[in-house]
This record gives sequence, C-alpha cells and structure tokens, in this order.
Amino acid sequence: MSLDLVNASPAFILGIPLLFAFLTPLADRISKELRDAVFMIGLLLTVLFVAVMSYEVFTAEGWAYVFGAEETGEITRFSFFRIMFVADGFAALATITVAITALGAGIYSFAFMEGQTGMEKFYTLFLLTLAGVNGMILTADLFNLFVWFEVTSIASCGLVAFINYKGKSVEAALKYMFISVIGGLFLLLSIGLLYGEYGILNYFAIAESVNGGVVDRVALSIILVVLGMKASSVPMHMWAPDVYTESPGAVTPFIAITSLGSLFVLFRILFVVFRYSVSTAALGGLLIILGLLSMFVGVSMALKQSDVKRLIAYLSVSQIGYMLLAVGVGFSTLENGDYATFGALALEGGFFHMINDGVYKALLFLSAAAIVYSTGTRNLNKLGGLAHRMPYTTMFFLIGGLSIAGIPPLSGFSSKLLIYKSIYLYHPILAIIALVVSIITFALIGKVFYNAFLGPDLGLSKGEVPTTMLLAMGILTAVVVVFSLFPNYVVAEIVVPAVEALGVTA
Amino acid sequence: MIDIILKDMWSPIAFILVLVLTALVAYMFYSLGNPAYKRTKHKGEPFISGNAPPKDVRLIHVGGDNVFWGFTHALRKYLDPLVKGHTGILNDYVYWMVITMALVLIYVYILI
Repeated sequence: MSLDLVNASPAFILGIPLLFAFLTPLADRISKELRDAVFMIGLLLTVLFVAVMSYEVFTAEGWAYVFGAEETGEITRFSFFRIMFVADGFAALATITVAITALGAGIYSFAFMEGQTGMEKFYTLFLLTLAGVNGMILTADLFNLFVWFEVTSIASCGLVAFINYKGKSVEAALKYMFISVIGGLFLLLSIGLLYGEYGILNYFAIAESVNGGVVDRVALSIILVVLGMKASSVPMHMWAPDVYTESPGAVTPFIAITSLGSLFVLFRILFVVFRYSVSTAALGGLLIILGLLSMFVGVSMALKQSDVKRLIAYLSVSQIGYMLLAVGVGFSTLENGDYATFGALALEGGFFHMINDGVYKALLFLSAAAIVYSTGTRNLNKLGGLAHRMPYTTMFFLIGGLSIAGIPPLSGFSSKLLIYKSIYLYHPILAIIALVVSIITFALIGKVFYNAFLGPDLGLSKGEVPTTMLLAMGILTAVVVVFSLFPNYVVAEIVVPAVEALGVTA
Repeated sequence: MIDIILKDMWSPIAFILVLVLTALVAYMFYSLGNPAYKRTKHKGEPFISGNAPPKDVRLIHVGGDNVFWGFTHALRKYLDPLVKGHTGILNDYVYWMVITMALVLIYVYILI
C-alpha cells in the first residue's frame, strides 16, 4: 500500500517536528551549521505539510485521519485506542496561523540567539512546542488533547526560561509552568468526568452522548476556564504579560501563538461537543462577558506600562477579547434566526481576527525584540529616535501597530470591521465598547512609536538588526500586507471554510 | 437595510487609490506655495515658549510615562486599583483561576 502523503498530512504536521526535534541535538554533535540546517528543514517541511493539508481542504473537502485503524469506522467505547485527527477548514485556519508565526520566529532565532549556548536544546524545545500546538489543534480526542496540552506547556516553559537574566525569565517560566500544570490537571479532571460518564473520548462521539446533565456542565465549565486561562482571557490572564515580557524576544510570538492555539481548541470543543446540549445563547453570553473583560482590562493595563514588551503583551490580552466577543455573539445566535442575519458574520470576523492577530502580534513582538537587541533596553522612558538608525524595523513596527489598532487599509481593520458590523446588530453598546478599545489601542501604538522611534537620535541603537531578523519581520509584514489588500479573498477562501467546518451554516 | 449594511464590500484597493489621489491633490497645493521660501537654521527645532532649545537632545524628547500623563492621571481612580490587582504573585494567579471557575460553574449551572 502506497503512502498517501496528502491523506497523512495531519500526521506529518506532527511527526516531522517531533522527529526533527530529536535530530537537532544529534546534528549538533557534527556541526553547528548542520544543526541549524536540520532545524530549518524540519520547520519548512512542517510548513509545507500545513500548506498541503490546507490546499486539499480548501480545494476538495476535509477528512479525518485516524491513528490505529485503517478506516475511520464507528467510534465506540471499545475504539479508545483510535486517535482521530481532523483536517478541516478550521484546522487549516489554525495551523496556517501557527505555521506563519513559527516560520517568522524560527528564522528570527538564527541571529537573535547567536552566541547562546545549548542551542540544540533551544531548537528541540521550539519544534516540540510547534508539534504540541498543532497536536492540540488537529486532535479530536480529549485525552490526546491533554497530552498535547502538556507537551506544549513543558516545551514552551523551557523556551521562556532559555535566556536567564537576573532570574527574571526563570521566575516567569516557573509561573507559567505552575499555572499550566494546575490548568492541565483540571483539564484532566474534566476529561475523566466525561470519560467516566460516557466511556468515550472522541469529540464527535461525545457530542452525540452529552445531554446537559450535571457532569457535562461541570466538565464544560472546567474546559472553558482552563483553555480560557491558557488563551490569556481576563481574569486568568496575569501570567501572560510576565511570560511574554521575560521570554527571549525571538520566541515571544511563538509563546503567544500557544495561547491562540488554546482559543482555537476551546472554540472547536464548544461548537463540536457542547453545542447541542447547552443553551447557546447563555454560553455565548459568557464568552461575550469574558471578551469584554479581556478587551477593557487588557487595554487599560497597557496604558500604565513603560516596558515596550509588556505593553504589547497587554494589547495581546485585549485582542483575545475581540475574538471571544465576536465568537460569543456568533455562538449565541446559533439557535435563532439572527445567525443568518449577523451571527455568521460575527464568526467570520472573529476567526479572521484570529489569523490576523497571530501574524501582526508576531510582527510587533519581533519588532520589540529588535529594539531590545539593538539598544539593550525595553524601557520606553529611555528609548527615542530609533528611526534614524533602524528604518526597516520602524516600518515593520508601524505596519504591525496600525494593523493591531485597526487602521484602514490594514488587515486588523478588515476583521474588526466585520466584528463591529455584526456585534452592532447584536447590541450597539458592544460595538461602541469595541471601538473605544480600538481607539485606545491606536493611542498606545502611537505612544510606543513616538517614544521609541521618533524624536532626536539619542545614540542608543547599535544600528539595524541583522538580515535574517529583518527577513523574518519582512515575511510577517508581507503576510499582513497580503491580508490587508485582499481581505475578501482571505475571508472567502480561508475563513468561511473554517466557519462551515464547525457545522454551522447560515 | 441590514443586508446593505452587512454585504457592502470593503475595498482596501479603492481606499489606497483614494489615499494616493488625496496625496496628489495635497502635493498640488504644496507646489502652489511660495518658491522663494528658504529654510532657516531654526526650522525643525522645537518651540519651547520662545526659549532656546536645550543642547542635550535627551531633554528635547518628551517620552515614556510623560506621554498621556494627563489621561492616565485623570483615570487614576480606575487604573490604580487595576494595577494593584496585578500583584505578580503566583498564588493570586491561581486564586483568580479558581474563583473564575467557581463563578463559571454557577453561571453554567443556573443559566445553561
């Protein structure tokens, strides 16, 4: 039997980074150049298989790849050893987001991490995190989700603590590990509850069994809070600014993408597993509350920051709020006629914002890392005039910043416009709050840009960052520009299939 | 009406074309200016109530926490408790997660 590469692409998306994660230390024993090459090949192959899977999903249809069985077959309590991976529009949207960010962060790492010791371990942790996030996204098995959740947490904790400076990054990693472990144990508890009740772990099989009983409600609450915490939703967000600020600049966007990955998983579970057994209006209302809290608290805390990375970290929390708000509005309309009117648009806006946010947030974090690399400080009170010596970084930051602020014609505006339009019809006050948060975000981006890049040259910068770092930021900028120029195409070809993959049609 | 609001197309290309057109019109007005104007040595220097600008460039750049100071100061009754709530203590992070879980459980049990 010949191996069908397209059909097996979900397995390759996991298998390749796992394999290369353990090849890099071996290659390091031969030469550093070979180690770097092995890492890059592993990363590029993963991106290639994401492209292959996504192309097949968008041009043909999605499919389930099942480990432990030749055919998908019926999922019963006796088929627990089968682990199903889902290759559909939603998985494609999520893995594309992760792949773009990973590519940017991976290329950026070469120059940024130069001179550090133990780089073979860094690449191993990087590729394990990549495999972990993709595993969380692709799996349709609750226990397998827990496994990938743990793989992601452990590997990303190692990345956070990789460059130790006065113990700060170790402290951040410890906080991240502790909160992740507690979250992971709660997740395991909820999985145990569902498995004890129904004897199955597959999302689709559980969806047919759940009836909204007490056990289901407890499991739903725990899953929502744990994945919400991992997605840095307020009020469980406090670990995120610590971790984003203290992690090595090259991997900060990659750590942030694990949060976005958790949000993808949360939405998949809500839509696939619990949609028919709960009141979608009430559950959507809960997502809206979390979204509003995240938007407002995130942007408010950003106002008080004078550390450039910490400020962007709080803006990142705020952006998570937009996604929760939009998807909450879409989810709450599933049971009534409003879904066709504006619910579908809210979901499209929310999902479009997720891919946009993944890319422009990565660009902003890498630009901030470039500032630290060139000046040695993150303190906005000390920075100024960097545009004189870092013109490319200035341009990259400006494009990322205007996009996160939702300024036309950039991609952030396109997704926010869809969100504004749809949530206005749900309730105008939500649209007003979203607009106010956007305005404050714009003001904060203006503050960072003015502080760091404008004004007289203070002589802080050593000059523009190395070419590979510029290349990484350039790739992300190019993606932002493409998404900005062709939003209708991106929505029609990537976002709408993601909405339809969750089983909702207008 | 709702259909018109939702289905109208946002075209970034058209937006950029209008932006370029506006820039051309602005340039046209700019080129109508006095060609005899000469740059002076003071052009580009900050105006500080008529006082001479300081020699040290670090004193010219007003940045950091001074930007939006008035705004954040006016909102201090809202912002200060919010900042105080972010203690940086790991125990508090776990408290918040457990408290949120309890609240979500109550919400889900009653409303969903």
